[in-house]
Amino acid sequence: MVIVPEIAFMPEKRTTLPRLMMVSSGNEHLHSNPGVALSQTGVLGRSAPVIFQLREKGIDTGTLYRLSCLIAPAIEASGSILCINERFDIALASGAAGVHLPESSAPPDVVRKTAPSLITGRSVHSLASALADAEAGLDYLLFGPVFHTPSKEPFGPPQGLVKLREVCRSVSIPVFAVGGITPERSPACIEQGAYGVAALAPFLDLPKLPDTINRFQSTLPA
Amino acid sequence: MTLPRRLLCFITDEDSSCPVELARMALAGGAGMVQLRRKKAYGRELYEWAVRIQELCRQNRAIFIVNDRVDIALAMHADGVHLGQQDLPVEAARHLLGKDALIGVSVSSPEEAASAAHLGASYLGVGHIYMTGSKEKSTEPIGTASIRPISQVSALPVIAIGGITRDNASLVMKAGASGIAVISAISANRNPEVATRELITIIRQ
Repeated sequence: MVIVPEIAFMPEKRTTLPRLMMVSSGNEHLHSNPGVALSQTGVLGRSAPVIFQLREKGIDTGTLYRLSCLIAPAIEASGSILCINERFDIALASGAAGVHLPESSAPPDVVRKTAPSLITGRSVHSLASALADAEAGLDYLLFGPVFHTPSKEPFGPPQGLVKLREVCRSVSIPVFAVGGITPERSPACIEQGAYGVAALAPFLDLPKLPDTINRFQSTLPA
Repeated sequence: MTLPRRLLCFITDEDSSCPVELARMALAGGAGMVQLRRKKAYGRELYEWAVRIQELCRQNRAIFIVNDRVDIALAMHADGVHLGQQDLPVEAARHLLGKDALIGVSVSSPEEAASAAHLGASYLGVGHIYMTGSKEKSTEPIGTASIRPISQVSALPVIAIGGITRDNASLVMKAGASGIAVISAISANRNPEVATRELITIIRQ
């Protein structure tokens, strides 16, 4: 009698996360045509997989849901991962694979338990938060701002590479560096132990987007 | 889950430092339902408030629902949600929350009411009936005469909202509402518990 291990019939579970995260522009509007996120995600099929974080605070829930439904299929088909900022209800309803929690979100262990099927990451701005969240069973952390960046000023002065290293050494889950990240600064973050990097502004130049993604990817471990 | 008849729903205001205290007073006054509505709150605050208000609702055998945030409602197994026309579509919320959840939908016309009923709403929030300072509105009040045509397109309970006070609550009920929802009539009153009790006495007459 041949015993076939049950594991052979298990669906393939995604174990490796992409190392590059694109954060959406934050400027999506109800009637913007064609919409920055739609253009950005349209080129994803031609590059290595990324995590696309849809973070749009200026639109209402219904609009965010429709936008997510619109971009989710192309993102998933390209092997990339769509993470909705905070609203895991929208992630679940629109077929996005993940949720990205801000530090001000509902408790991450509660979110994890409520939506176990989602890839769940979280922003942290201190070592203490990182350590607490690593216990919550999250899939990744986003730490920053590492460098100076106008869009992250509410989160205080840059944390710097030394603190990035401290966080990366203290937790066993992947840490993405965020805040003022460019292809030029990406290697320094990886050297400090970051799993990957996240950025917003470099991806706003749409004609150069495929090139920008490639330049980032060339700095990241395969 | 179905709504009791002649229901008073207290909706938390946007500005008070702690919506839990107001909810406690409204429940002490007999409110049958509390809706946690804080558009500008962080998820963490919302969750913490929701946990505490839900416990108060349980103690008072009242219904607890969350405005817009289906995620928060799911995380804490709230009785349901209330959705505006700009929120998650009813059918998506129903899919996530299951058949037993209470899902209210804001409507202001028979067309919106028919659509909400068709897509799985449990009750209709109909308004705004009168001018109101609690929410910034870009449209005119629909008036009490709009309640009956809306209530007639489905069998769903109609909870009237918008500018309802103890002076007009009786008119609203006579116009066909099965209950009322208020913010400032309770939250802006010097004694929210007494204000709640007075409103309940009026709508049960």
